[in-house]
This record gives sequence, structure tokens and C-alpha cells, in this order.
Amino acid sequence: MTAPGLSVAGDESALRYSKHINYWRRNLKTFLPHHYTGNDNNRLTLASFIVSALDILGDLETALSVEERQGYIEWVYRCQLPEGCFRGAPATDLKNHRNDENKVWDPAHMPGTFFALLSLALLGDDLSRVKRREILLWLTKMQRPNGSFGQTLGENGKVEGGVDTRFGYMAAGIRWMLRGNVEGPVDGVPDINVDKFVECILESECYDGGISEAPFHESHAGFTCCAISALSFVDRLPLKSGQPPDSRLRGLQNVPLTLHWLTSRLTLTLDEEDIDTHTGEINSSQTHHSPHSFAKLKSHPPKAGKQSSTAELTSHFEMEWVGVNGRCNKIADTCYAYWACAPLQTLDYLDIIDTKPVRRWLLDRTQHLVGGFGKLPGDPPDIYHSYLGLVTIAIFGEPGLQNVDAAFCASRRAIEHLQSLPWRKAIVGNDAASYR
Amino acid sequence: MPKFYHDDPEWADIEPIAQEDGGPHPLAAIAYTDEYSEAMGFLRAVMVNNEYSERVLGLTEHIIKMNAAHYTVWLYRAKVLEQLGADLRREIAWLNPTALKHLKNYQIWNHRQTIIDKLGSPEGESEFISTMLEQDSKNYHVWSYRQWLVQRFDLYTDEELKWTENMIEEDVRNNSAWNHRFYLVVGKKDGQAVPEDAVQRELEYAKAAIRKAPQNQSPWNYLRGILRHNKLPIAMIKGFALEFADVEKPDDVYSSHALDTLVDIYAEEEDKKEEAKKALELLATRYDPIRKQYWNYRKGLLGQTSAMA
Repeated sequence: MTAPGLSVAGDESALRYSKHINYWRRNLKTFLPHHYTGNDNNRLTLASFIVSALDILGDLETALSVEERQGYIEWVYRCQLPEGCFRGAPATDLKNHRNDENKVWDPAHMPGTFFALLSLALLGDDLSRVKRREILLWLTKMQRPNGSFGQTLGENGKVEGGVDTRFGYMAAGIRWMLRGNVEGPVDGVPDINVDKFVECILESECYDGGISEAPFHESHAGFTCCAISALSFVDRLPLKSGQPPDSRLRGLQNVPLTLHWLTSRLTLTLDEEDIDTHTGEINSSQTHHSPHSFAKLKSHPPKAGKQSSTAELTSHFEMEWVGVNGRCNKIADTCYAYWACAPLQTLDYLDIIDTKPVRRWLLDRTQHLVGGFGKLPGDPPDIYHSYLGLVTIAIFGEPGLQNVDAAFCASRRAIEHLQSLPWRKAIVGNDAASYR
Repeated sequence: MPKFYHDDPEWADIEPIAQEDGGPHPLAAIAYTDEYSEAMGFLRAVMVNNEYSERVLGLTEHIIKMNAAHYTVWLYRAKVLEQLGADLRREIAWLNPTALKHLKNYQIWNHRQTIIDKLGSPEGESEFISTMLEQDSKNYHVWSYRQWLVQRFDLYTDEELKWTENMIEEDVRNNSAWNHRFYLVVGKKDGQAVPEDAVQRELEYAKAAIRKAPQNQSPWNYLRGILRHNKLPIAMIKGFALEFADVEKPDDVYSSHALDTLVDIYAEEEDKKEEAKKALELLATRYDPIRKQYWNYRKGLLGQTSAMA
């Protein structure tokens, strides 16, 4: 694969810092184009990404006047429902027509509630107007008997929406934000069933070490990341060496296998044209290989080694850029850099992969000239890929970016702000003394 | 042609409810089209009255076309169908092209599940799934839905197994198809052990697929998954792995996954730490250098194990 117009080895890959600031300020202050209409019901999610990106870029203070900051906080609070929790967006707001008979169409929403709390923390609010008790009660109703969580409560208290770990991740995140790792009732509000939740994650582990949306579904980096982050929120990650054992049920049946699966996400298949070209194998039923008639694997020369032939030169350049996919035999995609690298960081194993060529792939291939990141090389930027691309290089320690909490996918500054709030300290005790 | 309601006599009795965006500083505000803004105003108005009617079915369809991820519009539509006693086959006929237009949408599949569950028959679903997979043979929602069908209608059949075989035949790297096969073989509801002959059949099946394309991780994962699930020793496939890589013949390697497998086999054997180390070095330096740090980390673990032994 060639990369026309791109810098070659030796040139420093660079984050186009000022372009990213422009991109995110535009998202903050002007209308998003109409093709975001498909995200209209998840505006709190988009809102959180926009504010958080500027926070990670270190631009939030400069970008917002005091009045704007307060205005955004007010907008988030307008998404809070009278009975507590947040809707996903103003789209479902029935205004003064809302009553007990129709409020099921304007329900509390798991992503809405998670991202509202996170946005308030990012904007420096103290969450004093959040109906925290109501949210924690609601969480217990959002958990299904199998331990999973849903998206909304429907008629007759039916838990609606997917069974996958995304909603469990958010439920666990909300719980951590509002009551830390304390297990059991708090102020008379019962806890979610943490053991059942951990069981549900354990059951979603696949034969290859990844985690899927439900038992026996296919391993997927997004669900794997959500599951591992959620385990960190409820303090049920596998014990690290030297950690004294306790009797609590913990996640991940086979940590070495999960690490194997996560590192297997690194790939040289960076776009559709790359499929099949790296192995020398043709991928169709027409070519029926008899044993041992297939191509030998290409041996890569060491990176700084001889560059005497074209073939060797090619593999030298290939090693400069390493992409990340979300499932076995899929192509690289910007967002999976986050979904695969964040759990490694959360498990404290980021050092088992070389992040430098992943960073170069993001900066040289999917970073866009106008700022932000696209899904694939050449794609225009969008909020989702731009945000996860940015968070990933922040996890890698990009100079000039804020330190981020990989599991919360937000700055440590915002999480520390939450930990400093007096009402939270009163519940959690002294956990603020040490970071998460 | 955009559709509007304000000048439609059928909707003259409805006062739309405009969106409230909360003051001068909304976040993530979207430049809606007039068509979408108006339709949403009418949707909020009918939801306020819990109106369940034919015209509302049309309105929900219109909204879904513009915003398929609107979570309550789908629940509302399901309620309308129920209240009207609507023809659910007709609903499926509408859902088919809608799903083909929104390949990545979750709600459509949840809705479909609700409808097919009520219909109580999987008739026609297999054909529709095939049409979907022609667009994207690894579509996660479609494979998840297929698993639900198998479970709901107890389709752990030879026919279903044959179907995964065809999917794998079409693309031996389709990991979704391999995963579905694992589900059929291992994931039966009652959780009983896999019969001995089925285990043998699956091991041979995976080996044959590896012989077709040794550098394909899906059947390697499958092979080892079947062994692990049935608590069979990995040493069982040592001879097989050696067909594709041998640490004594470092220039003749046909599969990095064979080397990877040999590492685990040697690590379990007495006095084979050197061989395991050689395989890891071949992976790190020649056959899978993008994961160099990982293979070196594994090498460190070998040292620990031998130190402990």
C-alpha cells in the first residue's frame, strides 16, 4: 500500500493541535450539520465528547466565557427529568404536557444520565442540583435478573434496550460518580447487584479471550473495553500480582487469554485494499490449497536493518504504521484504537504493545487536515472518531494533552473534581486522597 | 419529496409541540431540516395524547427514515401495532428495506425480535438474513439476531450447522461465522457436554480450514477454543502445529499462529523452555513483529515460570 502525499519515515508525525482546537470549537459553538440528525436522541453523548475534547486539548478555560460555561451547565440541567435522571436529548421533552400517562415516551436514559453527570463534572459544576438519590434508586430498577443493564424503563417497568456491556459500563460509571466503590446500601438506597453484574460479564467472555455483547456472541473490542472499564468502576478487576486475595467475585476468567486477544487487535490491514495482501493467501473457495502449497510467511527485517531491496523497504515502511481493529479479521478503524488500548491501560498492561506505530497511524493516516479524525484514511472527521482518536493519543501520553482516565474516557482533572465534592466525600470517605 | 403536516387536512386537529432547547447555550445543537423539525413536533404531540392510529404508524415511519436511532419512536410504534392489532407480516415487509438502508442500526433488530417473537415463527427470516449478509457478511447485529432466532426457535440443527459451513466456505476469514458455529456446537441451552464425536468432527473441521489458509486466526482460535472448552490438552495439536512451523526450521514458517500455539505447548512441557523461547523470538523478530513487545513480555513470563519450577 502506498500513501501518496504523506511524509515518510524520518519525518515527525504531529498532532495538528490548533486544527483540532478549531474543529472542536466549531462543534461547540455552531450548529452541527444535519447529517447528525441520526444522533438527535443522543445529544448528551455528543455534548460530553465536545466539552471533553476541548478539556483534553487544554482549551476549555480559554474557549468558554463564564456566562457560556454557566449556560451549558443550565442546558444539561434542563435535560434532567422531574422524577430524577436525564433524558438523552431535548428531542423527547414533552414540556408542560408531560404527565404520568405519557412520560414513558420521555424516559430516563442510561447514556443520557451518564454523559450528563460527566458533562457537569467537566464543566466544573458541583452536581448539587442532581437528584442523586433518585438516580441510584433508578439504577437498581435498570438491572435485569441476569445482571445486565438496559437503556430505558418502558411500560410496566420493563427494561428496554440492548443487553450488552455498554449500558452496564454506564450504570457502573454512574454508581462510581455518585457513591464511589462503597458496596451495600447508602443512605437507605440499596446497591445494584454487583456480583450478578460481574457474573454477566464473565458469561460474555468468548472462547478467544475477548468479550462480546452477550453469552456466545462474537468478541468485540467495544464490548471488551466497556466490560473491563466497568469492572474497574466496581473495583472487581482481576487481582494484580501482590494484591492480597479477598472473597469477592472478580471479572475475567483468563487474563492471559484476554491480553492475547487485545494485542491481536493490532493489524497491518489498514484499508480495504490491504485485505489478503499481507499473507499471500487468496481468500476464496476457488483457490483450494493442498497442504503446504501455500505461501510462506514473509519475514520482516528488523526495523533499522538493511534496506537493499524493494520488498524489504516496503515492510520497513509498513512497520511505521500499525492500525487497530475491533474484531478478528477486520480492518483497522480509528475508534478501535481506543476500544482496544484503553482496556490494556486499565488493566495496567499498555506496555505490552508498542504504541508508537499506532500513534503514527492515527496522526498520519486518519487525522484530518481540518482537525479531528476520520474512521478510515481519507474519511472526513466526525465527532465520535475524532474524540476517540484524541483520547487514544492522550492515553499514549501525547505532550500538550491533559492526562486522561482511560476507563472514564475523560480527563483525570474532571474525575478529581468529582472526588473533591463534599457530598461525595461524605459518602465515600477518603478515596479522594488517592486517585481512583 | 419532503413530507409536511401543517397543511395536511388529516393532521389539522394536532397542535405540534416545538422542541425546547433550553436557553441561549445549547450543546450539540443540530441544524435540523424543516421536515424533521416539523415531524418531531407532531410526534411529541401525538405521544402526549397516547394516540394509537394508522396515521401515527405513518408518522413513526417518517421519523425512522430520518432518525432510525430514536429509541422511543420504535417503542411507540410497537405499542401502536399492538393496539391496532396490525398485520405483523406487513410490518416485517416494511422492516426489510428499512434494515437494508440502516445497516448499523440497533433498534431495528430489537423491533424485529419483538415482532417475530409475537408471530411465533422464523419463516422467511433465514432468507432475509442472507440478503443482509450479502451487504456485509460480518454485520454484528445480524449475527446476534441469528443467534436469537436459533435460541427462540430451537434451531440447533444440522441444517444450521451446514449453513455456517457455507458461510465459512464463502469466506474462511469470517470470524462471525466461526463464532456462530461455536455457539451451535457448544452453546445449547441445557449446557450439556459436547458429545465426543462432535468434538472430533469440529477439531477436524478447523484443521481442514487452517490447511486452506494457515495465516487465518479465526480457525486457530476456534480449534483452541474447542480444546479448552472440552478440557482437552493443547499437546493434542502439537503434530498439527508443527506442519506449519518448526523452531528448528526458522526460514520455513507458514503461520505465526502455529508458532503462537507451539509456545503454549512447549511452555507446558518439561525441559522445552528453550523451544518456547525460540518460537517467541521468531514471532518477535520475524513473523509477527508488530506485536514484538507482547512476545517479549511472554518471554519474560517463561523465565518466571522456570524460575518458579
